[in-house]
Amino acid sequence: MTAAAIPAFDTGDKPAARGRIPGNHGIWVGITCEFVEFLLLFTVYFVARAHFPDAFESDAARLSIVAGTVITLLMVTSSFFIACSVATMRAGRRRASIWWLVAGLVVALGYPLAKYLEIQWNVAHGINGASGIFFTVYYYLTFTHLVHGFWGILGMLWVLVRHLNNGYTAENHSGLEALASYWHATDIIWLIIFPLCYVLA
Amino acid sequence: MKANDTARPAALTPLVLSWFALVCLTFVGLGLSQGDMRGIWFQLLVAALVWFKGWIVARYFIESHLAHPFIATVVRVFVLCVPLALVLTALLGERFARLATL
Repeated sequence: MTAAAIPAFDTGDKPAARGRIPGNHGIWVGITCEFVEFLLLFTVYFVARAHFPDAFESDAARLSIVAGTVITLLMVTSSFFIACSVATMRAGRRRASIWWLVAGLVVALGYPLAKYLEIQWNVAHGINGASGIFFTVYYYLTFTHLVHGFWGILGMLWVLVRHLNNGYTAENHSGLEALASYWHATDIIWLIIFPLCYVLA
Repeated sequence: MKANDTARPAALTPLVLSWFALVCLTFVGLGLSQGDMRGIWFQLLVAALVWFKGWIVARYFIESHLAHPFIATVVRVFVLCVPLALVLTALLGERFARLATL
């Protein structure tokens, strides 16, 4: 295959008449798959809830609303810091962008910690995956989200290493923006899980 | 780290306001869950909160309104799905359960 036969790589940074790609194409394939995965899990939630409304109402009240709220605040704040990292990089303020990214990473690390403490609390209160239909769905949803949270944290570490090595400029920071898009999508998913599992008790 | 000569002020105010709105809405949801309101109206309010919070993240963090139409549609549909399901289960709970029975 000659070079002429290979299509030019589109970084997704150029604003086009049809709208821009925040980050790159690859991350949006991943985010779309992530959305489809959680739509399936939410479908399971609603089918189970429609069949066992009483179990979902009474068992949700047994969860620690403090843990759910803390995770929500961590996710929202981390997402905000990462958005600030992109905005400052766009403005050419590399140093500020790195600090915002570090802040986002530090706050994001609070998520697995809060989840660990929540699970300890659950176990101490006799709650496990076999405690009832609500808890089975709750563990499926929240553990799957935690796995996606880990991918995001690993992504932040990778982007931070690249950022510290002058990997991004004001004109080209699609890697940073891809990470931000993924983390915001993961944030949206948690903002849906939180009311489903903790608020609708 | 070297300071960048071409640095400009970053537009952080919309992001700060979005974060503040998300935090406030989280506590509004908590207040609703701790209050006496139950039933259909409670579920409809929670559905509205879920949609609004998702919309804020999509609009101000992801900037989906500037994105390619496919991305904008994917995000919009995803943010709308669960609130819609909440409304449907609130209004048609038993009928929905019968539809979902194998």
